[in-house]
Amino acid sequence: MNRRVAFLVLMAAGAGFAADPLPSAASILDRYVQVTGGKQAYEKRKTEIAHGTVEFPSLGIKGSMTRYAAQPDKYYYTVDIAAIGKMETGVSGPVAWENSAILGPRVKSGVERAEAIREGNMNATVNWRKLYPKVENQGIETIDGEECYKVVMTPDEGQPVVGYYQKKSGLQVKLTTVASTQMGDIPVEIIASGYRDFGGILEPAKVTQKAGPQEFTMTLERVEVNPAIPPETFALPDEVRKLVDKAAAR
Amino acid sequence: MLSRRLIPLILVVSSAFAQAASRLDLDSFEKVWTTIRDKHWQVKPGGLDWQAIHDEYRPRVEKAATHDEAVAVMQEMLGRLKQSHFAIIPEVVYSVLDDDGEGPGVIGSGTTGIDARVLDGHAVVTSVDPGSPAEKQGVRPGWEIERAGGKELKAVIEQAHSNPAVHELQLTRAVLARLSGPIGGTLDATFLNSSGSKVKVTLGLTPPRGVVSSFGNLPEQHVWFESKKIGSTAYVRFNLFLDLPHVMASFQQTIDNCKACDGLIIDLRGNPGGIGGMAMGMAGFLVDKPNQRLGTMYLRDSTLKFVVNPRADVFSGPVAVLVDGSSASTSEIFAGGLKDLGRARVFGTHTAAAALPSAFERLPNGDGFQYAVANYISEGGQPLEGLGVTPDVVVELTRTALLADHDPVIDTAVDWIRRQKKP
Repeated sequence: MNRRVAFLVLMAAGAGFAADPLPSAASILDRYVQVTGGKQAYEKRKTEIAHGTVEFPSLGIKGSMTRYAAQPDKYYYTVDIAAIGKMETGVSGPVAWENSAILGPRVKSGVERAEAIREGNMNATVNWRKLYPKVENQGIETIDGEECYKVVMTPDEGQPVVGYYQKKSGLQVKLTTVASTQMGDIPVEIIASGYRDFGGILEPAKVTQKAGPQEFTMTLERVEVNPAIPPETFALPDEVRKLVDKAAAR
Repeated sequence: MLSRRLIPLILVVSSAFAQAASRLDLDSFEKVWTTIRDKHWQVKPGGLDWQAIHDEYRPRVEKAATHDEAVAVMQEMLGRLKQSHFAIIPEVVYSVLDDDGEGPGVIGSGTTGIDARVLDGHAVVTSVDPGSPAEKQGVRPGWEIERAGGKELKAVIEQAHSNPAVHELQLTRAVLARLSGPIGGTLDATFLNSSGSKVKVTLGLTPPRGVVSSFGNLPEQHVWFESKKIGSTAYVRFNLFLDLPHVMASFQQTIDNCKACDGLIIDLRGNPGGIGGMAMGMAGFLVDKPNQRLGTMYLRDSTLKFVVNPRADVFSGPVAVLVDGSSASTSEIFAGGLKDLGRARVFGTHTAAAALPSAFERLPNGDGFQYAVANYISEGGQPLEGLGVTPDVVVELTRTALLADHDPVIDTAVDWIRRQKKP
């Protein structure tokens, strides 16, 4: 399998030198898997706990974030900011949910749920074929002086996601999409930088996300690889469970 | 592969607060002008030719002899927008905070414990904080404030009334500012008591009521929350939509303890707003129907619905929201939205009509900059900016009622609740 990826990488590089034709979107996405650690590295990772910080510069607030993930699709993510309290989001089986001191608990539905479940897939990077049935390389754009391939990935449900992959390094440096949220469809732009090796996989240490009026930066500090995560970490919080039960009783 | 980081939107909505011009002032001017150019929800901010505004005001900032002059020019430029929530917050507000951890200026300098409103052209005490210097001196609701800090308040009020641009919110602030000063200092004041006699007292100035709360670039402020029962009716009041963890938890506790209440009164009089998202969060304790919203926020590139997430346990009894001309911003979003949804009946007087969602940033010269980022339309289809919330039942405070230890707005709300069927 790795040999196949390497072949695709060479094809992509060759295409780059020749200026045209463009490499296929699939080859770009597979190259990303390869340059960030390879399929085996991803598949060896069964669980992870990522620790970092989050900062909202325009508001002047900072906090901590922790992301728990387990194969294939368990996901729990928490941000703690003193002035706001805890904000949690998770995917527990078929239920995608969030809970915060400010807005309270809620269960996601429709496109928003589909997007959350897709984003909660621990091996989304490797499993892009399952998540995005249609991918297309739409050409080259320059980002921060670097030529990047613009790859449009279209899921079965939800808006297309546009990834920008550096021609030279193969790393993804930008993502844009329109997120479906309960408040409406919101344009999202994510800029990634400072790729570092976190336990055998390269990940961006700094991610800046603009979503509507809100901009924040997440700094990834360390990743625990294959830790034992108690199953209750991914269980529905009581407040969310009550909502699920209430909806079922309606 | 990158994925979105799923964090709920945090929306700040707060009403406005109240040294030689330098390179830093010019940089600050450019930041203010550029921010509005890039982030105002209208491509032509306020319908103005924003480049022409730059060309008009930049030379004036360059010529400003002092920092204060430069700031005054920037404030004037912001005034051209004719929209609330655009303001320069003096650097001293932050530096005072840094020095002693106490609130500065209108936010947090020493207070006497008096809350006041202008009623029929007179400054009148509407409440006195328990244990405050004013209470210790025997000051009572309903007393008229004639002089404070050597100033005749009537002159302040008449001056304000002569300026059509000054609304009740600013007028109240102007009056309350006369009742504040450095913590530890004193303030001489003259009142007219219930029998019309003059009472001269020297009042101590103590830290404002509540706990100091900070939220990013917002200046620190004192936040308090109170709840009580009026017969079988629950009553809550809080001065700001801030100190989120504490205020939201206290509100939830009130709801949890209110299963058998015949109604709930939420008193937002004097509440100038705060974190906009808290309006949605609190409404979730009161609205049981899914997919309801308080209103919609319009930004340049997107539209955000202020959706209510019903809680598992919702208070289903009658809800009264009390407002006045000093209820602004998030208070208006909350009151207006619940009124439009038919979930609450609003009592009191017309709100401040200052409800633009805004953000705060620090400028290169150290000042703060508040700027509106969106327009907001309440669920009923009306913009709150400039129109505010009109109560379902208009009830005005009167000096006579206050002197008799009555609050006619609360009394009317309680009467209405008692006429409703029990949940």
